[in-house]
Amino acid sequence: MFRFIREFAIITALTTCGAAFSLSSGLMPLPWKEPELAAGEIRLKDVQVLDVIWIDARSKMDYDSGHTSEAILINESNWDDGILNLMNVWLINARPIVVYCSSAQCNSSKRIATQLRDALPEAEVYSLKGGWEAWEK
Amino acid sequence: MGKVNYQHLLVLIVRLALTGIFVMAALPKIKDPVAFATSVNAFQVVGPELSNWIALFLPWLELILGIGILLPQIRSSSGILIAALLVVFIGLHTSAWMRGLEISCGCFGTESAKESATNYLWLIARNTMLLAVCILVILKDRTSNSRVSN
Repeated sequence: MFRFIREFAIITALTTCGAAFSLSSGLMPLPWKEPELAAGEIRLKDVQVLDVIWIDARSKMDYDSGHTSEAILINESNWDDGILNLMNVWLINARPIVVYCSSAQCNSSKRIATQLRDALPEAEVYSLKGGWEAWEK
Repeated sequence: MGKVNYQHLLVLIVRLALTGIFVMAALPKIKDPVAFATSVNAFQVVGPELSNWIALFLPWLELILGIGILLPQIRSSSGILIAALLVVFIGLHTSAWMRGLEISCGCFGTESAKESATNYLWLIARNTMLLAVCILVILKDRTSNSRVSN
């Protein structure tokens, strides 16, 4: 019995050393760390290689002061008009849809993306990590 | 005398085969644990955080056990733990098969996993065969240990 305990201890120690090596060498991110991307999020660098439909979930004022190329304004206050505009574009050429709001802290892009997934179950809908701030950088 | 040598040779070949398989399975996963975490997560048995912990420790455990089954100092426990892992793998594959999951096994890292993707029958048969030979090694170890004790 003692022999088995000793053997298990040796195996546990060696495995722990290996795992520590994976962490210290950067092969594996810390398991308890928040994932880089939340569910449904996409990075700007990944969007840039795709042909997407942009959705601006900010206010009309922010939209007028600057937005991504051919972005469609959809927020809570113009949902009906916005979704019609989106349908006109999406039905002609179905592409992934990327929603952004002002920054990494805003949640409106995630809310609009969720609503769009419900409204267009066949569409591929993401929210942009970092929002408009990431785009401007 | 000749029979004893034949048995030893057979057990040695089985040990070497298990070492080869477990080391080959471990190395790609040690190199890319993040991809392995995705494979673990795809089984939908544990959450993403626990998948990360499994992806961190399991490949190293496989490597240590694969080598350990050749080392007299830890070979008994290595055999038992390999058998336990194989039982878990068989259970996971059976469960995924029953739930109709279209996932890659991730057994030998992500690339080779694509080749055997969703071929659950083969995965279960292969692991059952490995389990059988592993039990052979465990029994042989027990016999050897009993002789040493006596």
